Amino acid sequence: MAEVVRRELVYVLTAVVVIIMIVDYFFAVPAISAIAGELNTWATVISTMALTLGAVNIIRVHSRNVRKRTPGVWYHSAWLIFIFAFVLLLGLTNINNPSANPIYKWIFDYSYVSLGQTWYAITGFYIASAAYRAFRARNIDAALLLIAGILVMLKNAPIGEVIWAQLPVLGGWFNDIGQMPAMRTFLIVAAFGLLAFGFRTLLGRERGFYGEVGGG
Amino acid sequence: MGYPTTMDGILGIWTALALMLFVYSYPLYKENQLFRFAEHFFIGLSLAIAAITGIQTTIRLAINPLMAGKVHYIIPILLGFMMYLILHRDYRWVSRYPIAILVGSSIGLGMRGTIIPNILSQIIATITPPKPGADATAWFNFVYIGIGTILAVMYFLLTFEHKGPLLYPTRLGRWVIMIGLGAYFGNTVLFRMAMLSGRAQFLLQVLGLVPF
Amino acid sequence: MSQESIWDRLQRIDRRVIYWILFILLMIPFIRPLSLPVSIGPQSITFIEGLRKLKEGDVVVINISSGVSAWPECLPSLVAVSKVLIQQKAKIIFWTSFVDGHMTFEKIVEKVPEFKKLTYGVDYVHLGFYTGAEPAVAQLAKNIRSIFTTDYKGTPIDQLPIMKGVNSANDVKMVISSDTGDYCDYYIRQWRIPYGVPLAEIGIAMNFSAYQPHWQAGILFGVTAGARGGAELEKLIGAPGDATITMDSINTSHLLVIVAVILANLGYAATRRRK
Repeated sequence: MAEVVRRELVYVLTAVVVIIMIVDYFFAVPAISAIAGELNTWATVISTMALTLGAVNIIRVHSRNVRKRTPGVWYHSAWLIFIFAFVLLLGLTNINNPSANPIYKWIFDYSYVSLGQTWYAITGFYIASAAYRAFRARNIDAALLLIAGILVMLKNAPIGEVIWAQLPVLGGWFNDIGQMPAMRTFLIVAAFGLLAFGFRTLLGRERGFYGEVGGG
Repeated sequence: MGYPTTMDGILGIWTALALMLFVYSYPLYKENQLFRFAEHFFIGLSLAIAAITGIQTTIRLAINPLMAGKVHYIIPILLGFMMYLILHRDYRWVSRYPIAILVGSSIGLGMRGTIIPNILSQIIATITPPKPGADATAWFNFVYIGIGTILAVMYFLLTFEHKGPLLYPTRLGRWVIMIGLGAYFGNTVLFRMAMLSGRAQFLLQVLGLVPF
Repeated sequence: MSQESIWDRLQRIDRRVIYWILFILLMIPFIRPLSLPVSIGPQSITFIEGLRKLKEGDVVVINISSGVSAWPECLPSLVAVSKVLIQQKAKIIFWTSFVDGHMTFEKIVEKVPEFKKLTYGVDYVHLGFYTGAEPAVAQLAKNIRSIFTTDYKGTPIDQLPIMKGVNSANDVKMVISSDTGDYCDYYIRQWRIPYGVPLAEIGIAMNFSAYQPHWQAGILFGVTAGARGGAELEKLIGAPGDATITMDSINTSHLLVIVAVILANLGYAATRRRK
């Protein structure tokens, strides 16, 4: 009985939800439409509440570092926990409009924004060094990739036209037409993959979401 | 927005610049304590903002309707709390129920919605010839896209060993895919460099060398 | 002992040298602009043509699924599109799936002076943050009020004149999705196909590759390629802005990457021939 509640019922619930979503799309049944809408709202509420789950888990990990005084790491973890607690308290002073707190707004506008943009942009460095160290035309496949890449880059950068007027034309062909078969293939194949994955989930054979390995 | 004139504005942009330089000290110099400081600052900050946003949105989406008399909202709220039992080893299985709803609705929505735009429309677009009177380039592009797509799909979908009659078509399919990935790489470089140029511009703006 | 060639030494160069050269090259064009002209792709032309079909009073949703970290890529296009929507006298509803999306909205309003002549709540509104990925997008299409009961400042949605009669995807004439990931896919599957709402994508440059097939198939009426797409839109509407300025540093950084790839391959060929 315990196994049924822990496993089988979960797979049945997943399958029922999938079927309701699909039936709602293809058949105009008011009752099914209402249930599907309700399930969407539930899914939205669950994922909203799960936003805090990641924070809780990471704080747990860093608290362990502080408790064990892991050398070289624990003071950074303590700093992380302090910032988390401080900003959380600031936000909770006016949960409906946290930006009304001037300190919260200052930290958001000047720290969070800057760090977010900085982290997102750091990979620009790595792509430059990868271009120098890793992108070798060892065979025809790699050569085709590099030629297409260079031509598209020369099309994207206005200086390409200054170097040779036909470069943007060539690059434009690769960008608009040349990559179309590959991108279209990825779409089609991914769609088939999603359908296959969905049917496996429907049949209870896809169990990775529930922390189980294997399936069958 | 011009150069800030208030104290908190000036302090703000210089703090932002300092944090940016702490982070970039890692690629431009080497790993150091300032980088770690900024890294952990950002993680703590992001977690706090995610938590605040989660609480705020939960109140708006579920608690307010519940207080307004829509009693059935207690169910998704309970399911949301059940998610947190994933952190407890003995009761982890309870979290499978809200995950089942999340996964089921996402997969159901994805499955029902993917057939037309990602399969049917793509096939129709591939086999639709250019309009009458189109030039040779349009016909060349049509043939290239059609044959290229077939070859690339063959490469992916045929799970037999690529030998004999399959050898050359699938090899050509791989080349078509490489061209696509090359163009994707070219666009990736554009993306990464545009992001980094924004940071370079910010450095110059704070130093007063270019206007805000 | 074999002599170390220049190619061997070049291949061992410290990567920090490359990083410094890149960072400096990115800065130079902001001080000494090159101001090279930008050619326009068909995807941007159809984007603007699609926007010009809007009539006065049509309701347009702008979905902001890109954070402040993607401003260099997405913000210029959002600004250009907002200008055109205001010229067409459309009603604009913003909403966002990013926690800092309200900052993008406020930045757009700051950068588009025409917003000063409009009334918040009547001509445009920002409904705030939503999460939940595809289920939330599907639910927005069915019933906007099941996700948003107030705007981002807390004003009840029914007190906003712009939201009168706007309840679902059936009441929306167009969606513009600005995203760095999958949200355009959700809008294609839950808004475009079931309800037929015209949809365009303002994306990062990689999204341009991913959504090209949809544009060619007629599912999207426009796609932008990050900052490059923003520069094209700015040129089309005759209002050069941030993206046009960014393209200058794109020139120098791209040249560096291309030179790096060519040098690396020449070195590779030279060392291989020696062996």
